[in-house]
Parts: sequence; structure tokens; C-alpha cells
Amino acid sequence: MALLELKNISKIYGELKALDNVSIHVDKGEWVAIMGPSGSGKSTMMNIIGCMDKPTKGEVLLDGEDISKLPGKRLTDIRRDKIGLIFQQFHMVTYLTAVENVMVSQYYHSMPDEAEALEALGRVGLRERAKHLPSQLSGGEQQRVCVARALINHPELILADEPTGNLDEANENIVLDLFRQLHREGTTLIVVTHDPEVAEAAQRTIVLEHGKVAREVVNENFVE
Amino acid sequence: MTKRRMFLRMVTASLLRRRSRMLIALLSIGIGATILAGMVTIYYDVPRQMRAQMRSYGANMLLMPAEGETLDSEKLAAALHKLPEDALVGASPYRYVRLDMTSRQQSFTTAGTDFEQVRKTSPYFSVEGSYPEAPREVLVGREIAGTIGVKVGSDMELTWQPAARDADGSAEDDRVPGAVLSGSAEGFGKQMVYVTATLDGEAKIAEISIDASTQTPEYGGRAQTEPAFAAQFIGKALPLEMEKDIDALSGATVTSAAVVEALNAARAADAAAGAGPSGQPKTTRYRVTGILVTGGEEEGYVFMSTDDLITLTGEDKLDVAELSISADEAQLNAYAEALTGDGIMARLVKRVTKSETAVLGKLQALVFLVTVVVLILTMICVSTTMMAVVSERRREIGLRKALGASDNSIRGEFLGEGMFLGLLGGLMGAVLGFVFAQVVSVNVFHASIVFRPLLLPVTVLVSMVIAAASCLMPIKRAVAIDPAIVLKGE
Repeated sequence: MALLELKNISKIYGELKALDNVSIHVDKGEWVAIMGPSGSGKSTMMNIIGCMDKPTKGEVLLDGEDISKLPGKRLTDIRRDKIGLIFQQFHMVTYLTAVENVMVSQYYHSMPDEAEALEALGRVGLRERAKHLPSQLSGGEQQRVCVARALINHPELILADEPTGNLDEANENIVLDLFRQLHREGTTLIVVTHDPEVAEAAQRTIVLEHGKVAREVVNENFVE
Repeated sequence: MTKRRMFLRMVTASLLRRRSRMLIALLSIGIGATILAGMVTIYYDVPRQMRAQMRSYGANMLLMPAEGETLDSEKLAAALHKLPEDALVGASPYRYVRLDMTSRQQSFTTAGTDFEQVRKTSPYFSVEGSYPEAPREVLVGREIAGTIGVKVGSDMELTWQPAARDADGSAEDDRVPGAVLSGSAEGFGKQMVYVTATLDGEAKIAEISIDASTQTPEYGGRAQTEPAFAAQFIGKALPLEMEKDIDALSGATVTSAAVVEALNAARAADAAAGAGPSGQPKTTRYRVTGILVTGGEEEGYVFMSTDDLITLTGEDKLDVAELSISADEAQLNAYAEALTGDGIMARLVKRVTKSETAVLGKLQALVFLVTVVVLILTMICVSTTMMAVVSERRREIGLRKALGASDNSIRGEFLGEGMFLGLLGGLMGAVLGFVFAQVVSVNVFHASIVFRPLLLPVTVLVSMVIAAASCLMPIKRAVAIDPAIVLKGE
């Protein structure tokens, strides 16, 4: 059953077609990578899936609901309730500690719960670093906090934009391991990347080129 | 943890952990609040301070006998009781009479007054020499001093002509004859001894006051200082005889005799006139202690104490009382209304009250203007700082939005930070502002200021409102931030 379905969506900026009549679908529990060179429309697609942008044309079905025509306020609600976001540059609130950063996500979603937030940090192996400010954490640690923050509200979809782009190999592996864990637990994952290694960790890779889906590759070597 | 606690945690963390930027905002609010609190304190305290200062312009209210009534010390004292003590700066009674200086064939308007009060109601009076302190000392206006050539330390004899009219022209016909006798005689070393005696209905001495200050203190001076000597006179009829009626003070026979002689002379003069003591001219010698310089009509007057004038004329009567009251115009009008009645008429000296009101009004307007300007500057400063804060935190705001923060949450968080700054700045300002006002007051007005408890909540509230208002523009910017743009990786 499809959790996310993009039906013939286009995003047009004046003359430029960032996305040109693209259709994809992602099943519930599936782990999909979106690849493509810069300018291929990855970011635009990521923004549309992340409810931070709307397509010029076409439908976006999330959980069966067409969200492409919803006003910004409703999109914010859906993003908050259903999607966990992970960014290339981590993006933490600089003056809040690791655990507080996780709690910010809870704060906007429902209720801040420190115990639960600490537990989430425990899952990414940072229970001991909970009281540290982002400036006291390494890049890998920061990204792990962001993973904890993304999963804290049990979103239906985790959307990661180049999550390992700023990480060394060791940290990349830690993050990918976390994704495997999440996948095993049934979380739907969409990872936007231009790193083939990261893409290969996913079940399926959608390759974008010039705003269109160039090809889809199913990863034969995928291990559950 | 509740959402509110998390909100407070985020707001305080933002302020405490991002010190430098917030310190600037806090400082601008704090300084603004300081000036505000200081100015408001001065605004309300200045009239009080200035009014006291402006009382140096002279009396601002006159009390006069109402039509067909008379005024005396007792009535004046009763009237003054109606005024709050702290408002009354001074009240000078005045009685004006014409006294003759026979040796110069001159006559002068002489004012009987209370010098202690004059110093309060007419601080601009300038005296060369000193104000009279002892009996039979006078102050002479510069004009008169020039005419008759008296100097500080000179003596002058002034004569009261009962038949004459008062300076104000009213006939003197209501005096009790024989009530007071006063005379003088030469004592030791040809120095004058003065005696005043009040006679009772049977012409016996009821009260006596002896001034032997010119005599040697340990000898003749005791005529004044030893009550036992004076007590001998009480209940005795004039004339008196030394040794038979009165025992001389040991070692001061000349002075003792002078007292008796002065009384007998006064009695004899009284009898010769055949019309009781008040019916005949009375002459007393006065010592000039100071020359009065005012630049005004006062320079044409002689001033003596009310008591001296009563002794000379035998009457307790006042023509006018000059009051200096620390109050605004409306209050003065209210006081004037309260004082009018019981034979007294009060009116304001418009020239003084009007100019006072005008000066204070302008001063308050100036303080108000400065306060408004400072508040506007504070707002601009805080607004600019918050604007910088917003652009500095674009990513964070974008992130919060990406995490699901609604526009209202963003507004609330920034407003919360702004109001928290306002609260801190306001508290700081209220305290520093009071200190500031105190310093200004002590240096400018030489008086300390009363702390107004209301100032604290008002300053804090105004600071919070200003801080919140300063955040409106920055908040508008924050809300407009597009998370997709600011969060994009490069």
C-alpha cells in the first residue's frame, strides 16, 4: 500500500521546469533513495514531499490524502504530525542542549517529555551527551541527535536530505545503521542523496535527471 | 514537562546562552527604562521641589481683614491652623503705622512684623548688617537710611502720636486707656533702661517687663534676669518709691532706681496728658541693626518687631499677612477659599502664582518630551537589535518551522523573548531610574526624592510593552522565513 504517491507533478519556476511530470510512489515501510546530479530536481522533490513546497501541477497523496492544494498552515500540521526531517547540515538550535533539541520537536508536536527524549538519544547512542550543546558535539553526534529528533514523534515518514553529506565514513555508517534499524521497525524512509553508497543501502533508488525520473533501480543486494 | 515550561526553558536559554546579542537589547531596554523611571520620578517630583524653590519669589497669598473687621495675631494664628503644616513656608504679619522722628522733623511708615517669618516669605530681602533679634532693634530701608544718615549700630528715636492716624488712614479710637505704660530712664553709665508695665483695672501693675540689657550683666543686668526683682512690682500702684516700695538689687542701685524712675516718669507723663497712657505721644529709642536693600518700596520703610510696635502703640492689630505657600494654583485657590471667613479675606498674588504655574508647566512639558524621545530611541534600538537577532537566527526559525512550528508559535517565542527582556530591563530601569532621579534631584534641587512604589510596576509594564512593540517588525520577518530556502544544504 502506497504511503506516498506523486502523480504527474511539475514544478515550474518561470521558464525552468524543476520537475517535469514526475510520478513516483513509495510504499509504507519502504526505504527509497532519490538520486541525481545537482539541478536534477532532487531538492524540489524533497521540499514537496516534506510539505515545505507545493507542485505547480499534479497531485501529492500522503496516506491517501491529496496535500498538493492544501494551504501552508495545513501543510505545517501534516509535516509536524507525519514527517520527520533530517538535513545535510544537521540544523540544531545552537543554544539548546541535545536533549532540549529533541524536546523542541516534541514541543511543536504534542508535549515535551524529557524521559522519552533521553530514551531517543539512547537509541542513537548519545544518552551520555544529552546535556551538551551542539557546539560541544562532533558532526556525527549532531546528526545522530537530529535522527533522534526526527524519530521522536514516531512519524510515518522520515525524509532525509543528504544525511551523510557532511559526515566521515565512520559516522556515515553509524547513521546508515540507524536507518536500517528504523527500517526494520517499519518506518518509511526516503533518503535524498548523490552518494551511491548511501543509495545502495536503500531497497530502491529513483534516479532523477533534468526534472524527470530517469530510471528506478531495485537493490538486489538489500539485506533486511 | 508542560509546554509552558518548555517555552520558558527555550526563551531563557535563548537569552542566557546567547549573551552578547541579548545583552545589547537588554542594555537598551534597561537604559530606556532607567531614563523613563528617572524622568517620571522627576516629572512628578519636580513641581514639589521647584515650588519650594520658587517660594523665593515671595509671598503668593495675602490675608487681610474683611470689610469692617480687624485682624490680630490671634485671628491670624487661628487662620493659619487651617493650612497643612508642610505646605506653609512662612507667614509674615504686617502692621503699618506712621512714626515720627522728631529730631529730624521726619515721619516714616513703620512696619511691625515677625522677622523670622519675613526671612521665609521674602528670602530676596537683603540686609546689610543683621536682622533685629532683641527688643528695640529696627531694620531701616536703604532710602530712609540715606535720607537721615543712619548706619548699622546707630540709634534713632521714634515717636508714636496716638492722635495721628494709621498709615492706612483709619482713626485710632478703640484702644483701652491705661492698659500699658512704658518708659525709659538713664541707668548705670548713662545707658538707657526700658520698662513696660501692664496695669490692671485698679491701676496696679499686673505685668512688668524690664530691659536692662545695656547694663553690666552681673550687676544692673540682673534687673532683667532676676525674676525676684521684677516680682516686687506686681500688685503695686504707681508712683513707686525706692526702698519703701522696691528693694534695690545689691550692687545695682543705679539700675534699680532707673527702673522705678522710668515707671514713675511714664506714669507722670500719662497723668500730664490727662488722657491715659494711650492718649499721649510715646517715644522709644531704637538701635538700627541692619539696612534693608530690596530694590523695591520696602526701602522706604522702617521695620520693627510686632512686639515692639505693640509696646509702642499699645495695640495688637494687623493690616495684612503675607503667606508663602508651597502648592499649585488649584490648591492655592482651595486654600484661599478655606481661609476666607471669620473676618479674614484671602487672595492670591496672581503675578507670582501665574508665573510659577507657567514655569512648572514648561518644565514638565520638557521632561515629558525628553521621555518620549528616549522611549522612541529605545524602541528603535531594541527593534534594530531584534532585527539582527532574527537574521542571525534565520536557520533556527526555519528549522522550528520545519519541525512544525506554526506562525503563532514563532510569534509567541519572539514576543516571549522580547517581553522577558522588557521585564528584566524594566526591573533594572526602575531601580537605576530611582537612583538616577535621586542623583539629579540632590545635585540640582539639593533635596532627596520620595520613592513611589507604583513606579516599579509601571516601569516594568511600559518596558514590556515597548519591548513587545519593538519586536513586531522583526517578528513579521521571522514569520516570513521559508524553511525550504534557509535549510537547504549547499
